Amino acid sequence: MSSTSYTIPSIVRASEQLTKEFAKLADKRAILRSKNLEALYAELRTLPNEEKATFGKELNALKSDINSWLNDADESAEKQAPIDVTAPQDINAAAPQLLPGETGTKHPLMTELEYMSDIAYRMGFAIEQSRLIDDDYHMFESLNFPEGHPARDDYDTFMTTEGLIAPAHTSTMQNRVLKKYAGNLEKGEPIAVLVPDRVFRNEDLDVTHEHTFYQYEGVFVGEGITVGNLIATLRTLLSEYFGQDLKAKLQPFYFPFTEPSFEFAIERPAALRKGDTEADMWLELLGCGMIHPNVLSAAGIDPVKYSGFAWGGGIERLVMMKYGIEDIRHFESGKLDFLRQFS
Amino acid sequence: MKVSLKLANQYSNVDFTAVSVDEILRRIGAQLGAVEEVIDYASRFKGVVIAKVVQCEKHPDADKLSVCLVDDGGVAQGVDRNADGLVQVVCGAPNVRAGITVAWLPPGSTVPSSVDKDPFVLGARELRGIVSNGMLASAMELGISEDHDGILVISDPGATPGSSLLNLFGLNDVIIDCENKMFTHRPDCFGVLGVARELAGITGQAFVSPDWYSQSAVSTVSPGGTLTLTGKNDITHKVPRFMVQVVEGVTMGPSSTQIQSWLSRLGSRPINNIVDATNFYMHLTAQPTHAFDYDKVKALCEDPENVVIFPRMAVEGEKIDLLNGKTITLTAEDIVIATDKQAIALGGVMGGAATEVDANTKNIIVECANFDMYTIRRTSMRHGLFTDAVTRFNKGQSPLQNAIVLQKLVADICEQTNAKAGVQYDSAPEESSFVLEPVAVSVDFVNARLGSSLTAEDMQTLLTNVEFLVEVSEGNLVVTPPFWRKDIEIVEDIVEEIGRLHGYDKLPIVLPMRTTAPAAKNPMLELKSALRSTLARAGANEIVTYSFVSGKLLEDASQNTSEAYQLGNALSPELQYYRLTLTPSLASKVYQNIRAGYDQFALFEIGKTHIKGQGVNDEGLPIENEVFSLVYAANDKKVVNGTGAAYFDAKQYLDFVARSLGLTLDFDPIDKDPAYEITKPYDIERSALVTDRSTGNYIGIVGEFKNSVRKKLKLPTHSAGFELMLSPILESITGTKRAYKPLARFPHIVQDITFKTAKEQQFGDLFEVVIEIAQQLAEGRGYVATVESRDIYHKEHSPQKHVTLRLDVHHPDRTLTTDEVTKFVDAIVTAVEQKLDVKRD
Repeated sequence: MSSTSYTIPSIVRASEQLTKEFAKLADKRAILRSKNLEALYAELRTLPNEEKATFGKELNALKSDINSWLNDADESAEKQAPIDVTAPQDINAAAPQLLPGETGTKHPLMTELEYMSDIAYRMGFAIEQSRLIDDDYHMFESLNFPEGHPARDDYDTFMTTEGLIAPAHTSTMQNRVLKKYAGNLEKGEPIAVLVPDRVFRNEDLDVTHEHTFYQYEGVFVGEGITVGNLIATLRTLLSEYFGQDLKAKLQPFYFPFTEPSFEFAIERPAALRKGDTEADMWLELLGCGMIHPNVLSAAGIDPVKYSGFAWGGGIERLVMMKYGIEDIRHFESGKLDFLRQFS
Repeated sequence: MKVSLKLANQYSNVDFTAVSVDEILRRIGAQLGAVEEVIDYASRFKGVVIAKVVQCEKHPDADKLSVCLVDDGGVAQGVDRNADGLVQVVCGAPNVRAGITVAWLPPGSTVPSSVDKDPFVLGARELRGIVSNGMLASAMELGISEDHDGILVISDPGATPGSSLLNLFGLNDVIIDCENKMFTHRPDCFGVLGVARELAGITGQAFVSPDWYSQSAVSTVSPGGTLTLTGKNDITHKVPRFMVQVVEGVTMGPSSTQIQSWLSRLGSRPINNIVDATNFYMHLTAQPTHAFDYDKVKALCEDPENVVIFPRMAVEGEKIDLLNGKTITLTAEDIVIATDKQAIALGGVMGGAATEVDANTKNIIVECANFDMYTIRRTSMRHGLFTDAVTRFNKGQSPLQNAIVLQKLVADICEQTNAKAGVQYDSAPEESSFVLEPVAVSVDFVNARLGSSLTAEDMQTLLTNVEFLVEVSEGNLVVTPPFWRKDIEIVEDIVEEIGRLHGYDKLPIVLPMRTTAPAAKNPMLELKSALRSTLARAGANEIVTYSFVSGKLLEDASQNTSEAYQLGNALSPELQYYRLTLTPSLASKVYQNIRAGYDQFALFEIGKTHIKGQGVNDEGLPIENEVFSLVYAANDKKVVNGTGAAYFDAKQYLDFVARSLGLTLDFDPIDKDPAYEITKPYDIERSALVTDRSTGNYIGIVGEFKNSVRKKLKLPTHSAGFELMLSPILESITGTKRAYKPLARFPHIVQDITFKTAKEQQFGDLFEVVIEIAQQLAEGRGYVATVESRDIYHKEHSPQKHVTLRLDVHHPDRTLTTDEVTKFVDAIVTAVEQKLDVKRD
């Protein structure tokens, strides 16, 4: 019955006793309250710290096994008859019908990312995805954040117990796309890539903060690329997005992976303006800058011959403004009340 | 980083008050960085009136109170006055007396120190039977110092009755709180002096640092003194420079109201004249310093006759009591300042309690040092200590300003406290190793990166305005950064500096040029987009759920938590694991929607999942599975007689997707549980493994859920789903053409054929045989034939079932006769009966 082999004697013993006990039980769930199991938890508490980890791991495995016994028991208790899975419909039943097309919806965030990607694609950008588990090299090191760099503090990253990283920005893809498209440069073509994907930040949720959200990262590298090109490209992309010609503004900033670095603001589209103060006029949309020569070098690109720019912005705020969505948490809520409004 | 515009102005040769605050803010925004907050510091003092106490008498009913008549020059409105125009105020301060000039808070004004907390508005009220019109304020009540021993006595000759307090102490100030993040590489901007220099630079004016703030101002003569002090530094890799100096015979006391007033508005609490002086110079120059009580240090030396002080790495487990009252246990990675006996400060972070400067201090040691920014950052994080010193040291201060700041600070302390400078130790009097190399850059390079057309002289002016040294020759600049800058190392740093000082808003804005070569397509994203549209068209709703799930959800879905990547710093147990597959996430969103009144729906998600057992890719990172999943659910209202198993609802969605992609899928019954994470939530007896016929690749599962899963996730009985891997699908559809049949020009004949067969006979096998035979026979006759399912009937308890198939046949060149069709159908039936144990019904 047991699928795991244990090494700690008291767990091996308990596992055998629990197996026997389980077979005899009428109410199988009572196994969770077994003295044998409680004794193991009591033992765990008394162990010195260095032994706790190993013991805890085996105890968790045992718990997991017990859960699977319970699941199996549930299964056999209320077994449903097998069905002919090769048939298109059930015995004595009408052929199934798809739900009416008018109830179907795409997720608003996905619609918006596709929309943004389409604009970038028309501007000559290839579209790439990003990873959801990454490493320190792509999150920080290849982006000119050496170990211990204080700018790392600005990214509240989730880490796995192995030390892998849940990317806190789509910039994790910069090194990869620069390498992947390096051949463009030899052909006299720029590297132009947009990476729209999911990122994570270890922060508490409220109506405007999510630990899971989407960014769109842009990378553009070629010969003779200037700060003026950066401003023009972003202004064009966002004017196209909002469907009107917008003024743009740069604010100096600091990111280790761009030099110089900026925050990019556009003139707030009239429809989204609440008042007419300076703060109402501008909409800070993203961070950007000229790609740091160390980042280009890390990808094997000659920073003397080539230069380029990169940006990263969030998509949620754009969608929230567009539709007047009041709470960012609706996006990942799976609520049909919310989703079906986007048909 | 809080900047007082008044203080900046005081230490600047450029007059910032000539420019409006709005313009300064606009320039900072465009050329320096984000402003978090602008505090109109002056506004809190607007109601404060300078007044002279004309008469002061004891309160008849209270020992400690005095009844005063004050002359405010008649400026306060709506206040009761006596015949001479004087106002009566009751005051409890011991130092109130006739003849002094004071700060009066008239009725209706707000106590300035309460503005940021809980604003307290004064009135005219009786104190022990005598009306007091507002109050006479202490410096503490004005929020400009910690002094609450009595009211503020003003000695400034310009402070006439009725004049505004704003003219004193630089209170007519604006505090600009700049975002720290933008100064990460600008350690000098954590001092008001550094920001003042930038303000000059971005307004196009040449800044000149105060005389004392220069390397040449440092005196090389050591003053000596009577007290001894020996310094050393064996860890120059962690502490590049360590300087200490004794100051003998200090007189402790509060610092001046002016100094306290600067510190208060910059966010440091005034402590005493020594600590305040160290903090003041930190706010001014960004260089943190620390003062130790010399005699306490001495007592902590092995030989009190030989006072020794030096930085060293802490010993693992060593303890230290800090100034904040906490005791921490150090690691070998922490830097301490120590005597030959024990640690007396956590280097670069916080002083120790045992050597704290207090009211009885006679002699002090002033430390001015430089620390490795990474080590300071780690120590700060490790012990959760976030001090003003950490904020500055972890940006990497320049060791070149140590001697300058130390000299100025010591001189100031000596002057303020009648003390005498004593012996000094400097671990690196040869400063040469700290000096940054000049950077050579061509004018063309700078213009090429910015898209600008600045001349060499333009660039030179911009840089010298902020005290760079620039040599110009033949279109090249050789730029020597000033000693406080540590961020100027490469040509791009010069580009940034010039671009910023020039103003990015002045650059020409042009789109980059490129050829008409098309951007590469991304087939995976196109597939995802197609799936999205297809399923939405079929009435399904796309959802997006977290990549992180709880261990409980994995267990509820019969999955194995040890296969899931676990977060070490999850926000909550709900978000502890990377999900193994999408199905559990989708299934967990069904119940809430049923409760919200949706009787029947299909949810789908396209995402990525990770399973430890699948190993890693060529980057050594976990394999990421591109997957998509759908869950179909209907509550009892929608399940009527004649509704088949939910399996068939999920499967028809899959069939629909397959048709739209041009895929042919096979649905194979599962004999043996493969126990993949992807199949674990599914009841294998009511599920099928899905394979792609063209490649034979296994691509996923479709089916109903295990009872345990359904119960735990509160799924309705009628629920089913599928989960497919997208990579094999993409591989399969790449290059496949949609099956197209030419339209028939002659009539189709449609005929149903019913077979009676054993209940256990799989529909799929029968169907495949019928199709194969029908097509074979049709081909021989020159017909075109298709077969589809019509009905499957089973009478209760019967060992047999009836399968009705619909045959559609036509001839491309003529009309078929009834006889021909009958013969064709008979031939099919005969052949099928020969091959399988079935009979025509």
